[in-house]
Amino acid sequence: MTAILYIALKFLSIVVGGIAAGTLGSLTGLGGATVLVPLLSLFYGIPIIFATGASLVSTIATSAGSASAYTREKITNVKVGIGLEIATTAGAIVGSLTAVYINNNHYSWMIYIIFGAVLLGSLIPTVQRGKYEEPVPRKADWSTKLFQLAGSYYDKRLKKQVNYEGVRWWLAEFIMFFAGVISGLLGIGSGALKVLGMDWAMNLPMKVTTTTSNFMIGITAATGSSIYWYNGYIQVFIAAATAIGVLIGSFIGAKILMKITNKNIRWIFFAILSFLGIEMLLRGLQKSSVLNISLNIEVVASAIFAFIMISGLYIHTKRGVEKNAKGN
Amino acid sequence: MQKEIDLDLITSYVLRTGVLLSLFFIAFGTVLLFVRNGGMNHTLSYLSNFSNSFDSHSIPLGGIPAGLAALDGIYYITTGLWVLIFTPISVVFIAIIDFLKEKNRLYVAMSIIVLFNLFFAMLVIPRFA
Repeated sequence: MTAILYIALKFLSIVVGGIAAGTLGSLTGLGGATVLVPLLSLFYGIPIIFATGASLVSTIATSAGSASAYTREKITNVKVGIGLEIATTAGAIVGSLTAVYINNNHYSWMIYIIFGAVLLGSLIPTVQRGKYEEPVPRKADWSTKLFQLAGSYYDKRLKKQVNYEGVRWWLAEFIMFFAGVISGLLGIGSGALKVLGMDWAMNLPMKVTTTTSNFMIGITAATGSSIYWYNGYIQVFIAAATAIGVLIGSFIGAKILMKITNKNIRWIFFAILSFLGIEMLLRGLQKSSVLNISLNIEVVASAIFAFIMISGLYIHTKRGVEKNAKGN
Repeated sequence: MQKEIDLDLITSYVLRTGVLLSLFFIAFGTVLLFVRNGGMNHTLSYLSNFSNSFDSHSIPLGGIPAGLAALDGIYYITTGLWVLIFTPISVVFIAIIDFLKEKNRLYVAMSIIVLFNLFFAMLVIPRFA
């Protein structure tokens, strides 16, 4: 009986981890999996390939859950989504097969390092992203017409119909392939890269970008998940707990996000994420035996680096805001 | 608007139903695992062990109907996970219907390429795994 109780606690603790990851993921806009993989692999002692497998499955749940709300509002651009999914699904196949190869050959330390680098790298543009602005219109190119990239949606906040024209489809397609590879390799949605592809390359409005990226994440993750499944890297006990937890967490996060008025609170979450990113880097170096430090030092070093990085970003961003205010 | 079927609304319902259905299977399967102390002839303590683990390689998808009938928790969770995987895929099918109606050949072709990638991952790659 006590054994069953112990296992029930183990299951619940993963659910709680999933809730925390889902909440933090939606508060920072980076997605639950970005928090879940470090959490499970660093603090639960779960082999990283099972952590990425479980995260990938959980990503589908959150993506489908919120896409259900967005498609109803007709902001998601399904054409852009489907067109770019050609690249993300192909990328996901390459990425997850690479993950399988890396794991089968005992190079899993690489996943830690790549994960840490990607987490820290996607944190910076997310932190600096402006609240809301319409893109500066660019001249339509050949891909605008061929791939029918013009669209419009009703913006509730601006109370008007926003028209837009996507450009440079081929460039976005190229970026999306890498987004797919990262998604399959690390078990995350890689929303930051997808947003980069549509926001920067295609010049789409931020709202269209984020909702369409969310729509695409599900299909990308479904492709990766099936490869993980057939290679035996989905552990049902863990995946069951995380799917439930992350979905609950993302709902909580979305609710909190609507109530937060003080934007500075977000910096605490960014700090936690950068801590996890640096921890992943250090753990990867440790596992590859480049680095040999004790666990305590690893944690303290990560905390210090995270503090320095976030303070730097905070000061930099505030200066940027002041400069903009003066410019106007 | 005419009496046209709103495919966006259908997409929205399909997504929500898929998520809820899969969560139901996963949650029910988990309860079964605990109540029956395991599944697929393995004890719960074996299944919950991360290092000596029982993973998706050991679960034949063809065994799902029999497993569900036998109230095996593992198969309920497996069904839930696969319902989840198929949920976003069904959206691509709905999109194809939409593009067919518009006679948008380019996008019908592109949706088929996406589906091809998906089924390549599901049906072709496992043969080499």
